Order: sequence, then structure tokens, then C-alpha cells
Amino acid sequence: MDEPTLIRHATDGDAAAWEPLVLAHQEAVFRLSYLLLGDPDDAEDVAQETFLRAWNHLKRFDPTRPLRPWLLSIASNLASNRRRSAGRYLAALTRAFRNEPLSTANVEEKSAQHMQANELWKAVRSLTMTDQQVVYLRYFMDLSVTETAEILQVAEGTVKSRLSRALERLRGIIQQDFPVLAERREEHEGRDA
Amino acid sequence: MNELQRELFEKQLVSIAEGLEYPRTPDIAGSVMRRLRTSPSLTGRGGRRRAEPVEAGEGRSRFSRRLAWSLTIILILCSSLMLIPSARAAIIEFIQIGVVRIFGAEPTPVAPPNQEFPSTMTPVTATPGPTLPSLIALLEDLAGEMTLEEAQQAVDYPILLPTYPADLGQPDRLFVQEAEGRMAILVWLNPQAPEQVRMSLHLIPEGSWAIDKMKPMLVEETSVNAQRAIWTLGPYPVRLHNGDIDFRRLVEGHVLIWVDGDVTYRLETDLPLEEAIRIAESLQPPPNP
Repeated sequence: MDEPTLIRHATDGDAAAWEPLVLAHQEAVFRLSYLLLGDPDDAEDVAQETFLRAWNHLKRFDPTRPLRPWLLSIASNLASNRRRSAGRYLAALTRAFRNEPLSTANVEEKSAQHMQANELWKAVRSLTMTDQQVVYLRYFMDLSVTETAEILQVAEGTVKSRLSRALERLRGIIQQDFPVLAERREEHEGRDA
Repeated sequence: MNELQRELFEKQLVSIAEGLEYPRTPDIAGSVMRRLRTSPSLTGRGGRRRAEPVEAGEGRSRFSRRLAWSLTIILILCSSLMLIPSARAAIIEFIQIGVVRIFGAEPTPVAPPNQEFPSTMTPVTATPGPTLPSLIALLEDLAGEMTLEEAQQAVDYPILLPTYPADLGQPDRLFVQEAEGRMAILVWLNPQAPEQVRMSLHLIPEGSWAIDKMKPMLVEETSVNAQRAIWTLGPYPVRLHNGDIDFRRLVEGHVLIWVDGDVTYRLETDLPLEEAIRIAESLQPPPNP
């Protein structure tokens, strides 16, 4: 069965039709949540909640449209809310008490490529939530401007202007606080010039 | 950054981001389907379906582990705080009304609207302060502005409007914001001073952010439509255009909070309590266009 048919069955209350849809999109939803929250447990909670919310509101969804942007939009909103919630504070407190580092902390053990990716992630996390959302969707999830606009529920022109501002800010942060990334950027520019 | 530099920078970002190691994606489908099977409220077709807490399989063990740690920490923190008499009082005494929880306040009994407060019950700041010069500027930061028709489509509860005072009319500005549930914020401007907000009404659905107010200077129990209500002071979180959450009050005055069905209402006004209750009790669905 194709996606629109599965969505129509799910909208009619067929939970079995919802399962293949969750399977098809769970990785993208989990990864975006992870990028926004930085914690796999929180990301899993948000991903589950995303699919339950979507199930609850399927009647509002137009089945002829692709499901993924809508799911990523819900996940993005839930993750943004959670970043400021008491629950997240509690989770951070719990980690601190357990003295358990974040799963991304032990960068020395990772390969140079992974280390650079983590450094970039750290740099992006210095941006505002709005900037982070657009950067993650466009460059980490490799989505088009059109898809990004649909997920953020803004015009494509707004995505482009947000990206432009976010990139300027990110470049400034990298130059100031992430010298390894800045060196790589200069090498890259030299090679491509 | 010129166009070429930007293109190179974008390419580099994508290339580096590809190297990011994500944790293995957990079995979200399994957990979701278990929750759908075990929660009749999620699969029932007629009524409103709501998400339940994680409760099965690997979700349960992770949740339980986190819960155990969280409870231990809370217990330690609470035990320490309970040694301090003022903190002990604050923890024990709170008022819950809808999604709002008010800590550290002794509610005064229901007062007839035009009865004056005894001097011992009237804190200095209970009286509305002077209206800020340009509260309207605050509205320009708020995200989610839309028309009444769009807002009614966006939320799954009826947006009721006050029919009192008779000259009030429809809200001048309306915002719908995601707050773990879609919260509607209705704003009326002051016709004599359009740069100022006359009144605002928040409609907050069940399951939204539980908001804690800490030691407000005024908490008074009253009633709206014969149901318990609270008359207090204080801001409420709103989402800004940049995605941040800020605590704001749109009117420099009091707040009347009451619940009707699944919706918590929060009316900000600088009018006296008697008038605020009249407004609250006048809510009606808007007339059909």
C-alpha cells in the first residue's frame, strides 16, 4: 500500500496502517529530535510523542501531501518546548547526579571526521533555536529549501533569509571559538578557489 | 560573505555534518504501537484522543530508571528544603487551577466583588501599577499571529469571545502558540490609546505547560459561573518570533484564572474583579459570519 492509502486507513482508525508509516519515518524524526535536544532518551520520548500526536490529529492532515514534513514539524515544536521544560531540567539534573557524560562528550575516541562533526554540532548549538532549526533541517538532514519551509511553516523566502543570517552567525562563532573548523574552512576555500 | 563563499561554506557544512554519529534509532514504532494498543483513549474513535505516558517494553525500563533517579533527587532536594520552615510551607501550600499551579500563597476567602480588602490582606503591589507606556510593542515580538477564522481552524476547542462590555467587539490581535497544546491569545487594544493593550485573554488547552507561579503578591479565590476561580497577578510564558519563550504580561493589571471543560482561561485586565468576572461570564461563541 502506498503512503496516502496507509494514511487514509490510519485516519479511519486502523492502527495497523500507522505502524509502517512510523517505521518509514522514525529515523528522521528521532534524528531531528536528537539534534535539537542532544540526548537520545529525550529524543526517543519526543519521537514517540510526535507519532502519537500525529495519530491524534490525522483528521487534520491532507493525505495527498507527504507525511514527513508534517511529522518533522511536530517533532521540531515538541523538541523546542522540551528544551525549556522542567522535565528536561530534571533529566539534566539526573545526568549530573549520575556523573554520566552526554553520549557525544568523549570526542577523543572518535575519528577526526566524527570529531569535526561534533565540533560543528557544538557550534550550531550556540545559535538561537530558530537558527538551529533551519541549519539542522537544511544541512544536517539535507532537506531542500521547499521542505524546510513546509516543516517550519514559513515561506521559502523566509527560510532563505533565516539561512543567510544563521550562516553569518555560525561563521562568526566558528572563527572565534572553533579554530579547527575554521582552519578546515580556509583549506576548503583555498582548494576550491 | 559573497555568493561563492556562501556556497562553499554550505557544501562544507553538509560534508562535515555527514560525519555526525547518531545513536541507533530505537524501536519507536514498537513503543508507539504498544501505547496505542494499551490506551483505549488513544484508539477510541469518537472522543478526543490523548497521549499517555510511556508504559511498556524498553520504554518502560528507561522511563522507570529515569523516574527512579528523578524521584531520588526530588526526595533529597525536598528533604533538605523541608528543614527550612518557609520552604516547607511553600512546598506544602499550593493552589492548582487548570494548568496553573500557584506555590507559596495563602488564598484569601471568596470576597464579594465590591467588598474592600481588609488592610492586612492588601499587599502594596496588589494594586495595578501605572500602565507601561508602549505595551503594544511587546505584541510585535509574539509568534503565531493569525485571524480569528484561522485560529479556530488551528485549535481543537471553541474560541469563545466576551460579549461584555458591549463595545468590546472581536479581538484586535490574535495569536496561536504551541505550548504542548495550542494556546490562543486574544488581545484587545485600548481605543483611546491604541498603542496600549486594553485586555488579553489566554485560552489554554488541557495538557499544556503546567505553569507554576511562585509567591504571587495577591491570590484570591473567587468564582466564575459558580465555579472556582483565582484572582492574582503575574506574567505567562509566550513564544517569540525567534523561538524563545519569555514570561510576559500584556496588561499591567490583575489576572483572573478559571476553567471551563478542558480549557483554562486567563484574563489579564486592569479592571476591578467585579468587571473581570462579568467579562468572564459573558464568553460566547462568536456569531457566524
